Amino acid sequence: MVDTMPRLDVMVWPRRWNPARAIRAVLLLLCLVFAAAGAGALEITDDRGVRVTVAVAPARIVTVLPSLTEMVCQLGHCQRLVGVDRYSNFPESVRQLPRVGGGLDPSVEAIVALRPDLVLLAASSPVAARLESLGLVVLAFEPKRYADVRRVLDQLGRVLDAGPQAQHAWNAIESGVAAAAQSLPPSARGTRVYFEVNAAPYAAGESSFIGETLQRLGLRNIVPAQLGAFPRINPEFVVRADPDLIMVGDASFVGMLQRPGWSRMRAIAEKRVCVFDPAQADVMVRAGPRIAEAAHAMARCVTSHRP
Amino acid sequence: MVQPDSPLRRQARWPAVVAGALLALSFLLLLLAAAIGSTGLESLTTLRDDPVALQIIRDIRAPRALGAWLAGALLGLAGAIAQGLFRNPLADPYLLGSASGASLGVSIALVAMGATPYASAWLSRLGLTGAAFVGATGAVFLTLVLAQGVHQTMRLLLAGVVVGVVLGALGSLVMMLQPEVMLSMQAFMLGSTGFVGWSACAVMALVWLLCAPLAIALSRVLDGLSLGEATAASLGLPLPRARVVLVVTLALATGAAVAQTGLIAFVGLAAPHLVRSIVRTTHRNFLLLASLMGGLLLLAADTLARSLIAPQELPVGVLTAVLGGGYLLWLMHRRSGAPGG
Amino acid sequence: MGPVTVSPACALQAHGLHVQLGRLPVLHGIDLTLPRGRWTSVVGPNGAGKSTLLKALAQLIPHSGEVHLLGDPVATVPARLRARRMAWLGQNESSGDDLRVWDVVMLGRLPHQAWLAGPGPADALAVEQALRATQAWEWRSRALGQLSGGERQRVLLARALAVQADVLLMDEPLANLDPPHQSDWLRMVRQLLAQRRTVVSVLHEISFALHADEMLIMAQGRVRHQGRCADAATHRMLEQVFDHRIAIVPVAGQWVALARDD
Repeated sequence: MVDTMPRLDVMVWPRRWNPARAIRAVLLLLCLVFAAAGAGALEITDDRGVRVTVAVAPARIVTVLPSLTEMVCQLGHCQRLVGVDRYSNFPESVRQLPRVGGGLDPSVEAIVALRPDLVLLAASSPVAARLESLGLVVLAFEPKRYADVRRVLDQLGRVLDAGPQAQHAWNAIESGVAAAAQSLPPSARGTRVYFEVNAAPYAAGESSFIGETLQRLGLRNIVPAQLGAFPRINPEFVVRADPDLIMVGDASFVGMLQRPGWSRMRAIAEKRVCVFDPAQADVMVRAGPRIAEAAHAMARCVTSHRP
Repeated sequence: MVQPDSPLRRQARWPAVVAGALLALSFLLLLLAAAIGSTGLESLTTLRDDPVALQIIRDIRAPRALGAWLAGALLGLAGAIAQGLFRNPLADPYLLGSASGASLGVSIALVAMGATPYASAWLSRLGLTGAAFVGATGAVFLTLVLAQGVHQTMRLLLAGVVVGVVLGALGSLVMMLQPEVMLSMQAFMLGSTGFVGWSACAVMALVWLLCAPLAIALSRVLDGLSLGEATAASLGLPLPRARVVLVVTLALATGAAVAQTGLIAFVGLAAPHLVRSIVRTTHRNFLLLASLMGGLLLLAADTLARSLIAPQELPVGVLTAVLGGGYLLWLMHRRSGAPGG
Repeated sequence: MGPVTVSPACALQAHGLHVQLGRLPVLHGIDLTLPRGRWTSVVGPNGAGKSTLLKALAQLIPHSGEVHLLGDPVATVPARLRARRMAWLGQNESSGDDLRVWDVVMLGRLPHQAWLAGPGPADALAVEQALRATQAWEWRSRALGQLSGGERQRVLLARALAVQADVLLMDEPLANLDPPHQSDWLRMVRQLLAQRRTVVSVLHEISFALHADEMLIMAQGRVRHQGRCADAATHRMLEQVFDHRIAIVPVAGQWVALARDD
């Protein structure tokens, strides 16, 4: 760039000064400054649709969503976390961190007191605007599908300057899920599964990420996609659909055997019910880096409950 | 009842006519409800050949429909008792804190069930229904204690409000600390007949058979109270004892309904008003009619809740509010057009 | 207090009747004897405790002191028997608007009905008599809420009559009644007296109160005077208790209270 600079005709200069060299120096300095600034700042559009300018590799991060906590740690930057929400419990190290409240009721004061460079929270969180008005940098992500997980990993990777870690993490998820699928015997493919999220009963449909995992494992979901991600269904529907296998969380399972008409279902009568304990249930419901673990748990469930 | 002349005699037949109509409608609706399932309306005749479908009707749909009717009958009875006892047309069965008590009981049970396997085993025997019942009746008992007896109606009402608010706040706190239960709690609070089986129907029927005769036996006290508390006392009615029995009946009926179907709003409030808009009669008939109307209302709402977006379900509480509230709005509109008496 | 002479010729007797509402004493040690088969009207300025006295006699509010009803200590009389012997009509008692007139008056028969039994022919007859006595028979199938103030008052009056009690305590029975119906009320009271019943009424229409046999004058929670309505001493005490703002004068054979604005 400097070589293509035209010679400058100057009016009054002391003989010793070389104006061209001075201008070259200033321009180089300016270029360096801009380059440095460009390398240190990033524009990201988060899940709220807001374009946020974030400094790369923030030193202090607060997360208010367990899946985001897990993603930050998966990308190798757990040490940058200075505060998490009360439900984040993985990995073990985050349990020592100060808590800033829950997803629906975070404490603005606690977050601000930690002087974070970046706050990561769910798109549905009520405090994003408040935190931004107090001068904090806020990124809102709420991964709900596999595609979301990949995208958020990628975006977080750029923000944290994690290099290839994001791609590694996603590859690990994909290969993990594929491995889980491989571990299933061919006879288990096409098993019809009913996944109950909650005793109301709320089921996990095909369009939820649990449903996606089931799909990748080659299993079929009795709840079709057009009912939505987590529909509240008529218990009769389950009896009618007569699933081969039932997956349910620990707390939800209580009383399932006494539900009217359910005891005659094949799955119940033949005891083809997988009950996940709270730790496993946590993994199941978080659309985060441990989806592969969830897939493995489901695969183990299918293999161990073969007819 | 001896009526010396015809206008009164004609009017005296009305309650029986209305009761018959409500029962007939309920029966028809029960048949319809048995035909509506997760795939919408099906013809009962085609189902005769399908053993699975028959089983479904017998094990799931029939008890659900009957359970909805029974819960509505309990809530309608409780609502009529509450409105008569407190002489307030806005009274509903949840007046003495039973709703908040039931919610707190259920939320604690849900949390405890997830906590330890020992708690699970014991609690699964008691069940969520037991927890709700204990919560509801416990809250009313707490209200009675706070109000130091039933001698002053105002104090009883205030104590009920206080207990309702405090227990409600505690329930919200429990939900906040353990958000996994939030979805289940929401389902409970909006009401559902989802898992009502034959044993639940039997329990509700027994409670109704206990509470309805008790309340009807005390119907003269409720009639006397409609003239004012002092006048009722001057007529020699045993007010304090009757009030205790009525409050206990109210608590039992509400607790039984809430335990099986969750917090269904508006049935207890609307059913007595709906009856009053059709026929005017003393409490001896009124309690029974309000009960029948409540049963019909909840059965209708439940049937709609199951069929509108089948196989998904709407919360029953939303539909009872729409149905009951809509009719009351229409009544108010009609009445405001006519000149006052 | 020495031994009390109680006579069945007295409808109501009170000894040392004290009533406190909250911390405020309302009645201060009232002793009175109300004769049987006579009409006593209770008068006095606002806040004298007239309604409270009636409620205490009817056992509707807690009090200390003894009350005897028809010779028996009222505390020993079972509630239903007491209700059959003594009827009370209050003022401003809220009433449900949904019941029919017939049903409302039938409620007055509650003390006579067995617990789970419905109304019988004697009850129907009593209700009809009561409704005719108050000229409310025509609208016996209408709802209470559809009636005007005066009509409703007549129905409530009929309710009290239907009890057919020996003693009838009425608090402001003429409220909302127009002059013709006020005169009807007078006639009704005379009929009751002819049946050897006792009537005690709190009235603020002094001229009507002067139609009674006896007058009980109260002020500030105490009985100032009890005597016949025709006596001059009664008239003087009446004027005194109202600060001489009224004058009791004879007009056309009746005693009338005239307001004085000087």
